[in-house]
Amino acid sequence: MSKKYTYYPGCSSEGSGSHLDISLRAIAPKLGVELEDLNDWNCCGASVTHVEAGALPTAALSARNLANAQKQGNAEVVTSCAACYLKTHQTNEKVRDKPGFKDKINEALGAAGMSYDGELHVRHACEVIVNDVGLDKVREQVTKPLTGLKVAPYVGCQTVRPFAGTDRGGEYDTYDDPEFLDDFIEACGAEAVEYDAKTACCGGAVSLMSPDKTLGLMKKILDEAKEKQADVIATPCPLCQQNVEMYQAQVNEKFGTDHNIPVVFYSQLMAVAFGMDPDKDGCLDRNTISADVVKQKAGG
Amino acid sequence: MSERKIGVYTCGGCGIADALDMDQLEAAAKEQKAGFCKSHDCLCSDEGVALIAADVAAGEVTHPIVAACSPRVMEDKFRFDGVETIRANLREMVVWSHPANDEDTQMLGDDQVRMAIAQAKKSMPPEPWTEGAFSETVLVVGGGYVGLTAALEAAAAGHQAILVERSDALGGMSAKWSKVMPHLPPYRDPQENPVAGLIAKVEASDKITVMTDTIVTKTNGMPGKFEVELTRAGTPSAETVGAIVVATGWRPYDATKLGHLGYGASPDVVTNVELEGLLGDGPVARKSDGKAVKTVAFVQCAGSRDPAHLPYCSSVCCGTSIKHAIQMVDADPEVMAYIIFDELRTPGTAEEFYRSAQEKGVIFVKGKVEKVDGDLTVTYHDALLGDDIPMAGLDMVVLATGMVPNSTNVEAPALELEDEKLVPLKDDINPAAPIAVAGYKEGVDAPEAPARPEPSMPEGAPILNLQYRQGPHIPMLADGFADSHYICFPYETRRSGIYTCGPVRRPMDMGEAGQDAAGAVLKAIQAIRNVKQGKGLHPRSGDLSYPKIDLNACTKCRRCTVECPFGAIDEREDDYPQVNPSRCRRCGTCMGACPVRTISFDNYSVAMINDMAKAVEIPDEFDEKPRVLILACRNDAYPALDMAGIQRETYSAMVRVIPVRCLGSVSMLNASDALSTGYDGVILMGCKSGDDYQCHFVKGSGLATERMGKIEETLKSMMLEKERVQTMEVSIADSKKVGKLIDDFVATIDEIGLNPFKGF
Amino acid sequence: MTAPLPESNGKKYDLGFARWVYENVDGGDKLSMCMQCGACSGSCPIGTEMDHGPRKLFMMIRAGMKEDVLKSNTMFNCTSCYNCVVRCPRKVPVTYILQDLGRVAQRLGYAEAKETDNARFAKAFFWSTRKFGRTDERLFSAKYYLSFGVGEAIKMAKANMPVARSLMKAKRMHLGMPHKIKGVKELNAILDKAEEIEKREQGV
Repeated sequence: MSKKYTYYPGCSSEGSGSHLDISLRAIAPKLGVELEDLNDWNCCGASVTHVEAGALPTAALSARNLANAQKQGNAEVVTSCAACYLKTHQTNEKVRDKPGFKDKINEALGAAGMSYDGELHVRHACEVIVNDVGLDKVREQVTKPLTGLKVAPYVGCQTVRPFAGTDRGGEYDTYDDPEFLDDFIEACGAEAVEYDAKTACCGGAVSLMSPDKTLGLMKKILDEAKEKQADVIATPCPLCQQNVEMYQAQVNEKFGTDHNIPVVFYSQLMAVAFGMDPDKDGCLDRNTISADVVKQKAGG
Repeated sequence: MSERKIGVYTCGGCGIADALDMDQLEAAAKEQKAGFCKSHDCLCSDEGVALIAADVAAGEVTHPIVAACSPRVMEDKFRFDGVETIRANLREMVVWSHPANDEDTQMLGDDQVRMAIAQAKKSMPPEPWTEGAFSETVLVVGGGYVGLTAALEAAAAGHQAILVERSDALGGMSAKWSKVMPHLPPYRDPQENPVAGLIAKVEASDKITVMTDTIVTKTNGMPGKFEVELTRAGTPSAETVGAIVVATGWRPYDATKLGHLGYGASPDVVTNVELEGLLGDGPVARKSDGKAVKTVAFVQCAGSRDPAHLPYCSSVCCGTSIKHAIQMVDADPEVMAYIIFDELRTPGTAEEFYRSAQEKGVIFVKGKVEKVDGDLTVTYHDALLGDDIPMAGLDMVVLATGMVPNSTNVEAPALELEDEKLVPLKDDINPAAPIAVAGYKEGVDAPEAPARPEPSMPEGAPILNLQYRQGPHIPMLADGFADSHYICFPYETRRSGIYTCGPVRRPMDMGEAGQDAAGAVLKAIQAIRNVKQGKGLHPRSGDLSYPKIDLNACTKCRRCTVECPFGAIDEREDDYPQVNPSRCRRCGTCMGACPVRTISFDNYSVAMINDMAKAVEIPDEFDEKPRVLILACRNDAYPALDMAGIQRETYSAMVRVIPVRCLGSVSMLNASDALSTGYDGVILMGCKSGDDYQCHFVKGSGLATERMGKIEETLKSMMLEKERVQTMEVSIADSKKVGKLIDDFVATIDEIGLNPFKGF
Repeated sequence: MTAPLPESNGKKYDLGFARWVYENVDGGDKLSMCMQCGACSGSCPIGTEMDHGPRKLFMMIRAGMKEDVLKSNTMFNCTSCYNCVVRCPRKVPVTYILQDLGRVAQRLGYAEAKETDNARFAKAFFWSTRKFGRTDERLFSAKYYLSFGVGEAIKMAKANMPVARSLMKAKRMHLGMPHKIKGVKELNAILDKAEEIEKREQGV
């Protein structure tokens, strides 16, 4: 039995985070999750546009998506990207809870003849797997367990902060020491190492604009993975994946380290462990630092 | 009691019989001429208790000696009507703190039995003092919130109360408050002022006599029999009361001394008390031009925690400013209220009140205000920003001034007093001494205590005008607050039967002060009921003994009348001492003071302590076994030794411990006699003395230290080293430390060598 | 309640600034609850890059140091990790407040604010959002580089070349025409309206 959700893939799905999108779409049917794309979705503004656009226009970006999702009819909107989740969830909460905000946002939506009543439920794909699918179902799908693969569970910030611990965030985990990613990894037959940098910050968008300021943050994440002898870092967040993978060369250059650790999405691990095509479905060929070690351990 | 019959009951339980030779204990008892000695495996069992009870009932024993556990435990089990039970501590102080089946341990055990027998030979069941009639009326001085509450509490407990108020109306300071800080959940908004309601209740009570325009002009007598003179418009009247509750409250610190904070420079710099008069239902109009106040800054600690003004924290000013800011913002939401604080102190539920103000948009700024100018510019130093920051454009500045205790009546002229009547105010405890900064680990230097002003005599007349040998004032603890110990003995003054409560005792808000009033009244009622039966008050509550003076031997030296920590002993016209038994707290400080040993209790005396010390068998010098006498205060030192045993801490078996009521009760003669009978050293173990004392009788341990300071001369004349007598401060928590103190002392004795007087 | 930012007339300390922030900045209504414990500054992963940590910035707001606050780089270095938000014992939404304070500084034309990397980046990012309805990583990056001038842009692009190449090789860079949503016009109408409402609210 499957459940239908409106799916908001977010801008990174069309570029740097395409491997998250593709692998998630690949595993979803196996988990009984039916993803129906959100009509004509637009950018959420991420942790960026507020500086240029202000708080209300930034919220209006999410509001348009929510208005379209409301028309689409599914009660729940699922996001795979941390920033999309945070911004959409935040706007949804404000519409529901902040006095006067619903009127303002509807006044803005009204300029395009749209409206939103605040009744949808915005969820993160990981939370859906924890609360709706359940770990048992994940384990059932594993045909090629990733035996012996040591994985550093790198959750990052916005997937859990600030909403994971709240009932609105589905209460699927804590924001300081989340366990869900460890569980996903173990469900795939791999080993989740004790990872102290689990919710450390990669620098987010600041890494894209001024990497010099944040290479030290990424170094901590990489050093800790190396110290725990992880073969691979796994994350749910497209920006974390991109930063930690893409800047390794610069980290090495600045600090004289020799990191070369693949950074993959949990959904890629699941696709491989579910016995699907490691490249076509698992998108391992889309990692710039070779993640073939995942392939090698699969079913071994 | 016709004939003294001493019987010893040794207990073999709790490991005693495993560690000691019980037969030898019996031999020691016999040798001391005990009538008999019986042994039991477990004396505290029903069977064991029945054994003693049967002998008591049969008239076989008048002084049963229970040689078992510490006298601090099983008191109820071993209390038998009509006889005086004596305890020999074999468990905590012998077998639990020394090696089993050891020659020295056995000698210690034997001596414990010998000392108990010596004690029994001198001890008599005390006869209580209950002469004449006792009053049950409570006199409450001060008709403000605290006094009103106290009078109502006394009435509610079934006692008559007389409520005396200096001014022409009840209500005091707080009657003027528009609203008060919240004392009921959810503690978020100012509450209605309860004072008018209390006044109505007091006036309706048939148990409370209200006397306004009245002051207390004289107080004589003692608990249960206070003779007070109440003067109304120059006309005195006399009343007899059982106990007195002093609730004279506080007055605001004199703001004219706060010129640096702008007071006087502008009519719009007002104190928190003055602001109360400006608060109404609507916005506050400022004094200078009637303009509605839109921006206001509250200057916290205005003169408080400042050695040049009030060295202490008044604890309520933060809450008061929060209340004022909320009231002003509630009346006009456009008001911007700044509260500039150094440390915001919101004890207990005041924290909720603080949050409530934050939610209402009151702006809290951490900084120390340096000055306030006539144009209302407030300059404060911000430690975080490291800068002096001017705050300009204010409509009003409120100085949060502190509380000054009304421990005297400043409206009446001060009395001329000879120096010795000021001793309890100035010298017993220095009210201006720095209070140590607590909470620092050993090895970490605590910051220096803040400086305090020179002690000055309180201005104004005494509140009660006590006709006591030690002067008319209620002694003060610190900074003019009338109290004896905030933590251990709340409400207790150093004058028995007189209890202070509310801000005269320490700064507090109305919520606390209401509870304080109830607490003090309960103390007062306890006193009334105890003294009627001849029982002592806290901390020897229930003690029936009291000091008896043999005037035939008295030399009129007056040391007892001067040294009594509670002013219990007056002087007669012929200069002989006169004990007021119900004022007495039974500490025995008079007994320790008397140079001719003429003061004693029925069950406690200098001679008894000496006999106990002498009952110990002193080995001769060739045995090379020193003996050290420890006179240990029963309040802290003795329990600490007990606890050392409970924790199986071991220490030298060369010591012999005699519990004393307080080190104040130890006579210098106890120490010198011990040395002359062959002891090699004497330790006086008691509570911390000094300005931050822990002595349960305030100054007993301090007096002991002082007396023993003088023993050096005596030792010199005996050709003995001064190291042989030491005073040690031991707190109840020192069980891990006390053993080492003892061992170190015994090591010192070993170094000096044994007492040459041995065997004299 | 909303109001235009008070004129401080060159004064270094502005009595009304704290209240203005409380009432007009997103999340500012909770700022009054700050008790200056410093959990925010202690939790910040990037505090070393900031002129002032959040705690100090909030203290400056209370002191009325409007100019210093709005010229500070604190808001523009925030990575939006929300560590301070979840740890604040008084539930002050520190991140939201910083984000909106950055916007206020921008709107008021503070040069310091406009010249931050973050402001340039946001400008380029929002350009893409408005133009296509989505973020085109390739085009907005180019626009961001160009905000520093052509010469600097070429240098930056060159430095980024190895990364760009590897992403291209891994099929993670979109090439060809940008993805554009159907409702670009409708989105812009909504954004225009939202900006208009915000300006109206803040009395600009």
